[in-house]
Amino acid sequence: MSNHVTEWLNAYYDGELKGKRIQQVEEHLAACEVCQHELDALQSLSGMLQEVPVPEFPSPERFATQVNLLLPQKRTTTPGTHLFEIGWWMIPVGLLAVWVFISTASLLGDAMSTAKNLGLLDSTTASFISAPSETVVVTSTLGQFGMLQGNSLQWAERTENFTRDSFPQIVLQVSVALLYLTWFAVWWTRHTRQISEPLLES
Amino acid sequence: MVVVLEVSETEVIRSAQSGDRNAFSELVRIHARGVFNVVYRMCGDALIAEDAAQETFIRAWQNLSSYRPQTPLRNWLYRIAFNAGMDMLRKEKRILPNAIEDLNLTDGQPSLESQVSQQERTQLVQKAILSLPDASRAVLVLREYEDMSYQEISATLDIPVGTVMSRLNYARKLLKDKLEPKLLQVEADYV
Repeated sequence: MSNHVTEWLNAYYDGELKGKRIQQVEEHLAACEVCQHELDALQSLSGMLQEVPVPEFPSPERFATQVNLLLPQKRTTTPGTHLFEIGWWMIPVGLLAVWVFISTASLLGDAMSTAKNLGLLDSTTASFISAPSETVVVTSTLGQFGMLQGNSLQWAERTENFTRDSFPQIVLQVSVALLYLTWFAVWWTRHTRQISEPLLES
Repeated sequence: MVVVLEVSETEVIRSAQSGDRNAFSELVRIHARGVFNVVYRMCGDALIAEDAAQETFIRAWQNLSSYRPQTPLRNWLYRIAFNAGMDMLRKEKRILPNAIEDLNLTDGQPSLESQVSQQERTQLVQKAILSLPDASRAVLVLREYEDMSYQEISATLDIPVGTVMSRLNYARKLLKDKLEPKLLQVEADYV
């Protein structure tokens, strides 16, 4: 095991090292012939690479004219795609509105139920809110026939209340969240991949 | 002066994005040589490089609406150019003579290479570059010939800076391994 700075030499040579690392590499180079030789080799290699010539390029004007003749008549940007873009951005807005509506409705329902239980609502308003005990139809029917008793009856009532009141809201909210995440994933893919083709293979 | 140029190019890009073919031709004029050079460095064949440069600009025209001004246009074009060049090479099957391996680049035996001319030497280097894996060669080309920073290469190829560093180290190590014996020989001849 050595203390050579080989792994930092490329970055040092390219001027990409920062801070104390530069000093560390320079101090090492001053004392280490192996690393100094590596650095010299990098310089030689770079010099050799620069020696490889590039063939003469045809006039850019002529090239641009040739390309112009080859361009497809219509690009993909059309009024249709513009409308699609608008529709595309309306999706998250719509989902957000649905989510706000569901959350608000749920919150108001809970608040009114609490208010009713505390006796803060008059009888007219209270009639709009169904009491949980009145909604457990299946459980009470089973209880009347003696099929549910004691703790089982209470547990069944709670389960039915949950299934009736909270479960649909949870399902709706999860659905909205999943739709939003799907939209976001598609957006992210489109955003990061500026052109629709794969990058160089690793 | 530079600012004026940048603003001007931004306006030209905007016009081209709205479908102005003349504006797009202006962009082609500005970037044609750079794109050609990059593709040539990648594939080592002038004819393929010219075809790939044309293909690059056609693809750029078709996808111009997805171009975001946060990325320099040059970098965006280079990214398309690399893919176009590689596609072209695969299609044309005109990749370098099979002789890359036949050159026996790592063989340090003194022979005719001791008489190697400048032209032969550059051919040797060119072939060594072309024998690199595509991904490492792309990084090397952008660093050595386009003088891009690691950050710029990272943005152009859409890879992390750490990957840029490792690919560059790898490419240079391979080149050194392949060329060093010859180089020492050549340098000795010059002395």
